[in-house]
Amino acid sequence: MLKLNHIYKWVNSGGRRVFLLNDLSVKVEEGEFLSVMGPSGSGKSTLLNIIAMLDDFQEGEYYFENEPIHDLKPKKRTEIFNQNIGFIFQAYHLLDDLTVYENIETPLLYKKVKSSERQALVADILDRFNIVGKKDLFPHQLSGGQQQLVGIARALIIKPKLILADEPTGNLNSKQSDEIMQLFKELNGEGVTIIQATHSESNAAYGSRTIHLLDGSVQKS
Amino acid sequence: MLKNFIKISWRKIKADKTFSFINIFGLSIGISITLLLALFIMQEHSFDKMYANKERIYRVIFNTTEQHNNEIWATVPAALKPAAEEAIPEVQKSARLWDHDFGKTASIEAENEQFTEPKLYYADPEFFDIFQLKFVYGNSKNQLNRPNTAVLSESTAIKYFGKGNPIGKTISIDNDLKMEITGVYNDFPANSSLDGNIIGSFKSVGFYKEPSWSNASFETYFLLNKNADPATVTGKMQNLIDANVEKEDQWYTLDLQPLEKMHLYSANIKSAYTSKLGSIEEVRNLSLLAFLILLIACINYMNLATARSQKSTKDVGINKTLGASGKMLIARFFTETAFVTLIAIVLALFFTFLSLPVFEKIIGNSLSTSSLISFEFLAAIIGIWLTTTLIAGSFPALHLSRFSPMEVIRSGRDKESFTALLRKGLVVVQFSASVILIIAAVVIYNQLEFMRNKNLGYNPENTMAVSISALTSNAEKETLINQFQNLPEVSSATMAQGYPGISVSGRTLYKNLNSHESISLQTNRARGGVVETLQLTLLAGKDLPKHKQEGDSIVDVLLNKNAVDFLGITPEEAIGKNIDANLGPNAYVVGVVDDFNFSSLRSPIGAYAFNNGFEPLRYMLLRFKSEELPATLEEFKTTFADIAPAVAFDYSFLENNVEQMYAREKRTARAALIFAGLAIFVACLGLFGLAAFMAEQRTKEIGVRKVLGASVSSIARLLSKDFMILVLISLIIAFPLAYWLAGRWLQEFAYRVNIGWPVFVLAGCSAILIALITVSFQAIKAAVSNPINSLRSE
Repeated sequence: MLKLNHIYKWVNSGGRRVFLLNDLSVKVEEGEFLSVMGPSGSGKSTLLNIIAMLDDFQEGEYYFENEPIHDLKPKKRTEIFNQNIGFIFQAYHLLDDLTVYENIETPLLYKKVKSSERQALVADILDRFNIVGKKDLFPHQLSGGQQQLVGIARALIIKPKLILADEPTGNLNSKQSDEIMQLFKELNGEGVTIIQATHSESNAAYGSRTIHLLDGSVQKS
Repeated sequence: MLKNFIKISWRKIKADKTFSFINIFGLSIGISITLLLALFIMQEHSFDKMYANKERIYRVIFNTTEQHNNEIWATVPAALKPAAEEAIPEVQKSARLWDHDFGKTASIEAENEQFTEPKLYYADPEFFDIFQLKFVYGNSKNQLNRPNTAVLSESTAIKYFGKGNPIGKTISIDNDLKMEITGVYNDFPANSSLDGNIIGSFKSVGFYKEPSWSNASFETYFLLNKNADPATVTGKMQNLIDANVEKEDQWYTLDLQPLEKMHLYSANIKSAYTSKLGSIEEVRNLSLLAFLILLIACINYMNLATARSQKSTKDVGINKTLGASGKMLIARFFTETAFVTLIAIVLALFFTFLSLPVFEKIIGNSLSTSSLISFEFLAAIIGIWLTTTLIAGSFPALHLSRFSPMEVIRSGRDKESFTALLRKGLVVVQFSASVILIIAAVVIYNQLEFMRNKNLGYNPENTMAVSISALTSNAEKETLINQFQNLPEVSSATMAQGYPGISVSGRTLYKNLNSHESISLQTNRARGGVVETLQLTLLAGKDLPKHKQEGDSIVDVLLNKNAVDFLGITPEEAIGKNIDANLGPNAYVVGVVDDFNFSSLRSPIGAYAFNNGFEPLRYMLLRFKSEELPATLEEFKTTFADIAPAVAFDYSFLENNVEQMYAREKRTARAALIFAGLAIFVACLGLFGLAAFMAEQRTKEIGVRKVLGASVSSIARLLSKDFMILVLISLIIAFPLAYWLAGRWLQEFAYRVNIGWPVFVLAGCSAILIALITVSFQAIKAAVSNPINSLRSE
C-alpha cells in the first residue's frame, strides 16, 4: 500500500543538524495492522505525520499506492490525504465548539457530501460506536475514552483505506485502552489498514506486525 | 456548510461573553456613529434633487473684480432677466427672487394679528414653472402675474388664517404693502435650498419697473433648454453686459451654478438667500470622521481576534487534517466576522434610533426620518456591513487560514512575533486617531472661546436692535426714539441702516478725488449716538450729528481706522476731508473710530463708514441697563406698541447675533468633542479586552513571579508598561499630524488662537491617563490573584 525508501528528515538547532528520521525505510501492505514502537523522541510521530503527508522530509522517496508523493504538489497531496487517510490523535483534538454529532460530521462537510447522505452516515457510525445518546454533548462533557471514541468515529466517517493513530490510548486507562484496541482489531478485520504509534507492549500486541524505532531508524528485530 | 459556520460563530459568541461584548458593543457604537453621519451626509447630498427640472436649472452667479476682493455673490442685477430672455435663446425660462428689504425680517399683519416673517421673497411668475411647485389651493399657472398678489406656504397659511382656503384674503407687509393671497403651495421640503414662506409678486416692488445693471441684489434662476450648454449661456451673458454696461463700470462678470451644486458648493458665495447652506468641506470631514471611528471599532475586532488566535490556530490545524481547504477556512472566518458584524449592526440600528434626537442637536439640523427606510439608507447599511466585515475579518481570515496544520497543532501557537507586532501597530493607530480627535476638539473649542471673548472694538452686550422698517413716517420714528430715550432703562439710542454683524451697503472708497486706486467700503447710514450706543472708540473728531436738515446735501462721514489708513493720513488729518466714496460730492469726514469687527472674525477688518446719507434707517439700536431684562423687554414692547400698534415688535440682541455667526464652529466643536469621546471609549474597550487577554496569557508567569516574591505593584507595572509604550508612540505620531490639521482649520480665521503646548500636554496626559486606568484595572486584578490558583491550573 505504501512504501518509504531511505527517508531523512532533520531540523537545524543551534547550527547543528538534528535528525528526526535517519535513513528510514518501511513497507506497509494493504490490510496490515502495524504497530510502531520506540521511546520518546525516536521519531514515531514524525513518521506518522510524514505518512499522513502533513509533514515534509528532506531526502528519500515515498510511494502511496504507487503515487510518488515526494514529487507531488501540496494540493495534490492534500487531496490524496483527504481521500484515503483518517488521523487519530493522542490528545483527541476534537473541536471544542462542536457537538459530538457535528465533530463527526465535519469531514463530510468539507468533502461536500449532501445533507441527507451525511445524516445517514453519521447516524450509522454513532450507532456502531454506541454513542447515539451522546451525540448532542460537547467534548468537555465526555470522558477521555469517549472523546477518543468520537475521534475515531470522526476519522472513520470518510471510510479511509488507512488509519493513522498517534498514541491513541496514551491518555486513557487500561480498560478504555483495551476497548479502543479491540475496536481497531475489528476495523482491521474489515479490511482497513492501520498504523499505530504506541509505547505499550500490550497495545502493540494487537497489531499484526511491530517495528521498533530508535533515533529515527528502524531497529533490526 | 454556511449553516454550520453560523452555528459555530454563535457558540463562540456565547462561550466568551466578555470578548463578545467588547467586540459587538464596540463595533455597534462605531457603526451607529457611521450610520448617523451617513444619514447626515445623505441628507446633504439629497438637497434640491426633488425638482423635476433639476438638471436644467441654474442660478446666476456674480463674480466681482479684484477691486471688490473677487467676492462671489449669489445675487445679480435685475436687468439680466428681461435681457437674457430676449437675447439668449437657450434660456427657456427665468425668474428673479428678491429677499424682502434686502434680507430684513418682515412685519406681517393678517386678520388683525401681527407676525414676523424672515422668509418673505418676491418672485417672477416663471418661478413656479421652473421649480414646478405643487399647490394646495389655487394652481401654479398665472400666479404672481399681478402686482400686490402673494402665495403662502401651507404652514404659513395655517398660521395666519387657520385651516381652510385663504384665497382672496389679504395680508399687509411692513404696514405698507397690501397683498392679496392667490394660492397656497406645499411647504418646501427640509432638503430644499429654496425656503420661502411667503412669495409675493415681483411686480409689487419698485425694482420691477426700473431694472438696473448696477444693483446686484436679486437671485436669478434660469431654466435652460434641453441640451443647452451652460458655457454658451455664460458667453452670451457677457455679451449682454458689454452691450449694457460701460467698460469702466464693469466690475463684475456672470456665471452659472447648477442647482444641484447650490447646497454644498456655495460656502464662498455671499448674499445667498437660503438659510440652509451646507458645506462640502464639512461633509468630507464628517465622512472621514465616520471612517476613522469605524476603523477604530474594526481594529478592536481584529486585535481581539488575533489575541485569541492561539485557540483559533489549533482549530485551523484540526480542521485542515479533517480535510478543510484554505478557501473554506477563509470563508469560515469571514462568515464568523459577518455574523458578529450583523449582530452589531442590528444593535447599532437600535442605538441610531435612540440617539437620533441627540445627534440632530449636535449637528443643529433636523434629519428626515423617512430616509431611515429609504433605499439609499439600506444600501448604506449593507455597504457598512460589507466594509466592516472585510476590514475586521481580513486579518483572522487571511492570516490564520495559511498555517500548515501540523505546525499549529503541535505548538498550538503561530509565530507570535508577527501577530504581536500587528496588534501593537493597530493599538497605535487607534490611539493616534483618538489623540488627534481630542486635540482637534480642544483647538476648536479654544478658538470658539477666543472669538467669544475677543474685544471686538465695540460692545455687543446689552444692546438691542429693533426693526423699524415698517414704521411709515419719519415722524413716527422720531417719536419712538424719543420715547425710548426717556425710559430709565435706556442709556443711549440711535437709528441705523444696520449694525455690526449684518451686511450693510457696499461702496467703493477712492484714494483721492481723481484717483482710480480704491478699496471696497461698507457704509452704514446712521445718526448721532452711534458711537455711544455701540461703545466705539473715537480716535479723532466727533460722532455724527444728531439731526440733519431736510434736503441738506452735505453727508457727514464717520470712518474707521482702516479706511483712514488706506487714505494714507492720520485720523486728525482726516477730519474735515472731502472723500470720494459714492456718497455724493459733499461727503466730509467728521470723525474717526478705531477698527472694530463689523463682520465675523473669519475675515480681517476692512474699511467701514457710518454716514448720514441716503439709505433708509431700518433699526433702532438701544443700549440698556442690564438689570431685570424681562421687565425691560416688556417695557420696550409696550412703548413700541403705543407708537406703532400695527407693527410686530421684532428685535434681536447684538450679543446673540455675534454668537450666531459662530454657530457652525460651535457645531463642529460639539461634534468633534463628542466623537472624540466616543472614539476614545471604543479604543479603550479594545485596550481593556486586550489587557485582559494578556493578563490571562501571562497567568503562569505572574504566579511564578509572585512565588518568587514580586510585589503587586511591580507586577501591575510589568503588565502596564508595554501598553504605555504604545500610547507614547501614538502621541509621537499624533502630535505633528494634529498640529498640521488644526493649523489648516484655523487658516479659515483672520483672528485665531495659537496652538500652544498646553493643548498637547492636555491631550497627551488624558490619553495616558485613560489608557492607564483601563490597563491597570486588568493588571491589578491579575497581580492580586493567588499564585497557587494560577499555577495549579497549568
